[in-house]
Amino acid sequence: MERFKQYIVELCCVYTLVSVLGAIVNIIGGTQTSNANVLVMFLTCAIGTFVLYMHKLFENVSPLVMIIVQYLAACAICAVMLLLIGVFYEPVSPRGWFEYYRSFTIPYIVLAGFYYYRVFSEAKAQNALIREIQQKSLEKHS
Amino acid sequence: MKLNLYEDKKNMNEHVDVYYANMRPVIRQLIDTVNKDRPTLSGRPADEDLDDGEEMILDPAEIYYLDHIERKLFAYTKDGVFRIMNTLASCEEMLWTYGFVRVSKSNLINIYKIRQLKPDLNMKVYASFDNGERICINRSYKKSFNDYLQKMRGIM
Repeated sequence: MERFKQYIVELCCVYTLVSVLGAIVNIIGGTQTSNANVLVMFLTCAIGTFVLYMHKLFENVSPLVMIIVQYLAACAICAVMLLLIGVFYEPVSPRGWFEYYRSFTIPYIVLAGFYYYRVFSEAKAQNALIREIQQKSLEKHS
Repeated sequence: MKLNLYEDKKNMNEHVDVYYANMRPVIRQLIDTVNKDRPTLSGRPADEDLDDGEEMILDPAEIYYLDHIERKLFAYTKDGVFRIMNTLASCEEMLWTYGFVRVSKSNLINIYKIRQLKPDLNMKVYASFDNGERICINRSYKKSFNDYLQKMRGIM
């Protein structure tokens, strides 16, 4: 129950961020979002947050494998969602599928790249910190 | 070697008497240990039978890392691998001020022995030691590892 509550809190944060960014993009581009799109955006956030929330299951694999597996899992669940929308609401055109995955993949790759950069920059900062501690220790004992 | 221990809560003059026939390495280690203020670990060479090998006193400063494998704890040093009879948690508690920090469920590493932290292309970060070995810093311990380094910098 505690984990579910945490998931809901994270979903709220993610959806708020995505909807505000979407509103900014709409204002800049002079476009409008339909009600169906808002719901699809919410479902996508729910799927994305759920998949990313599963990161604790991947403690023993490398982050790169985790990112790829999570992306593929998110793609698969989103495909099921689009198929259900096609069956129960309105058929999704091939262009719709393409647009959907494009708008999903680009931020994912950007964020994965940022994470990749952070891993390397953090290791560099920690190396400098370790050198400093070792140097101070040597000075202390000499 | 016979060992006598006398506990006296009122003793204000703690001391150690060593009666020896020859100044063997183990005696020298005992003397070094008494003369130092840092804690020590005792262990037997890992490749010998527990009952046969002579117990050695290990200086934590000489240990690269501690590894917990199949409910056994091993200390990796320049001179070899030693089986330690303590638990990893007790070592963590005892040695945290001496540069030892937990980086995974089964590893405690000595930051003074780290040659370099290096991320792999698969984004796993490894601590490399002078003996050529490397230990993976688990993602879930990344924050505590960083906090520890900051704390140690403050202490120094």
